[in-house]
Amino acid sequence: MSSGAGREAVFPTRQSLGAMKSKLKGAQIGHDLLKRKSEALTKRFREITKRIDDAKRKMGRVMQIAAFSLAEVTYAVGNSSIGYQITESVKQAKFRVKTRQENVSGVFLPQFESWRVEGVSSDFGMTGLGKGGQQVQKCRETYTRAVETLVELASLQTAFVILDEVIKVVNRRVNAIEHVIIPRTENTIKYINSELDELDREEFFRLKKVKGVKERAKAEEDAERSKKARRESDKENEQNGEGKNVLGDEGDEDVIF
Amino acid sequence: MEGMFYNVTGGYVEGIVRGYRNTLLTGQNYGNLTQCETIDDIKLQLGPAYGDYLASLPPNPSTSSLADKTLDKLVAEFRYVQANATGSLSKFLDYLTYAYMIDNVALLITGTLHERDTRELLERCHPLGWFETLPVLCVATNIEELYNSVLIETPLAPYFKGSLSHQDLDELNIEIIRNTLYKNYLEDFHRFVNEEPGIRGTPTQEVMSEALEFEADRRSINITLNSFGTELSKQERRKLYPNFGRLHPEGTLMLSRAEDAEGVRIAVDGVSDYRDMMDQTGMSGGNSGGGLGNQSGGVGGDTEGKSLEDMFYEREMQIAKMSFTFQFTHAIVYAWVKLREQEIRNITWIAECIAQNQKDRIGNYISVF
Repeated sequence: MSSGAGREAVFPTRQSLGAMKSKLKGAQIGHDLLKRKSEALTKRFREITKRIDDAKRKMGRVMQIAAFSLAEVTYAVGNSSIGYQITESVKQAKFRVKTRQENVSGVFLPQFESWRVEGVSSDFGMTGLGKGGQQVQKCRETYTRAVETLVELASLQTAFVILDEVIKVVNRRVNAIEHVIIPRTENTIKYINSELDELDREEFFRLKKVKGVKERAKAEEDAERSKKARRESDKENEQNGEGKNVLGDEGDEDVIF
Repeated sequence: MEGMFYNVTGGYVEGIVRGYRNTLLTGQNYGNLTQCETIDDIKLQLGPAYGDYLASLPPNPSTSSLADKTLDKLVAEFRYVQANATGSLSKFLDYLTYAYMIDNVALLITGTLHERDTRELLERCHPLGWFETLPVLCVATNIEELYNSVLIETPLAPYFKGSLSHQDLDELNIEIIRNTLYKNYLEDFHRFVNEEPGIRGTPTQEVMSEALEFEADRRSINITLNSFGTELSKQERRKLYPNFGRLHPEGTLMLSRAEDAEGVRIAVDGVSDYRDMMDQTGMSGGNSGGGLGNQSGGVGGDTEGKSLEDMFYEREMQIAKMSFTFQFTHAIVYAWVKLREQEIRNITWIAECIAQNQKDRIGNYISVF
């Protein structure tokens, strides 16, 4: 049935009625909780969506500036091998990302945090010593900002995807409980009740029937008995009339002392 | 008097180069370029000047491929000039290519130091700095081998000799090596234009001395400014200053002691040109942040926010432009190459601005003519 109004395959017994009732209660509590969870998640989700929007706009601006500062470097240095020199002279990363987890209503969201290693000096600090060094440093600054924005965006985006998934699951559960489990349990309870009532009525009817039969049998018996009694008295009367032993002791056995 | 016989050897080349100079983009051309909406428009605008070289570019090329193609033209023309040069001019042109060779060798040394396949790097080398034994540098797998058997064979060997040992190659920062080489190169070039019999006493000596002295001062100032906040010690820094130029020796001595932009300004105080530059970039006020930006106004507009680097480029272009007022000199080849390089940078800049939709900064090119 489309509304999930089927019922569970249980024997309509009082025990299963009890079980069903507790199940219904559990389902309702679960539904309330899940609904609240879903609302909390949705609130968070909206917030994140807004922040993603901001972050993306910011990223657009920052990346533009960064790309432009790279153009400035190319302009100032005048050759294109600068990128190679920089990538070759860097030995360890200064800019690093670490993750931690944040718990939002039982959902673990990874949060990325960027930090700079203090000990790592600028390995390519001398790049462009002859010319363009200042542009290289400036470019490095802008790209650091760009990467920071990217990291921020990455954690938001991951949270967005995870939350989206979780909200879908939770909503599916809420809907399942609301539209399938609760109606079905209610139906089952209704069914069990009606079956039990039916059984009660049948029992009552059966008892009535049994009583009727018994009464009828009794009545018949009574009638038989009264008829028999009448006949016997009649017979007696007859015998008496034939000169029967007055003492009426023909049948008596001899008593042996 | 000295020009009387110049045309016998150098006349043809000078004529050619003056012709090349006339094909350089003018302010009008740049004006048209800045009006472009797409890279394709730029390509179209560059049609008359670059024609064939841009023809093979796909529609909407990247700015770097555009720059590569414009460079190709410079290289082709330079090769032609080089092929027609004789005597001292030929030597002079060789000197011009050494600057690029230093970049290429530094690039390959970087590759060797990090044990990369240097063959891939050959494509990244500047074509003007190409020399026959350059691919041989790739054969060396460690730095000692590179130094002992390969670098010795390159035209740059004299610049290595005496100032850099093979241990230095291993230990020193590649930038220091590069700048040491460049210093030796500039000094050698300066010596060449002042002492070479075919050049001494000609306008070439006059013009080139000015250009090289400016170049030397520019390097000194830039190295000083860029070394702030790095691990380069003052002692090492001092070794990188070329031993000539208008700042030499008092200025460079003071530069070597400078600790901030203010110190640099005091050091260059003796030379009014540089002092004006420093004043204009606002570095004298201790506001070094203002010096980092690229130029903000158009050329000849307000100078607020121009970086020292831009001022130096402008000055270099002026020197190059003035070189063409002389006749019977090799210096115009130098000037032409510099102008052409600036033009390529300008085109790249304008293309970059258009590609990135940053039209407000598009006027930052340096138009010479």
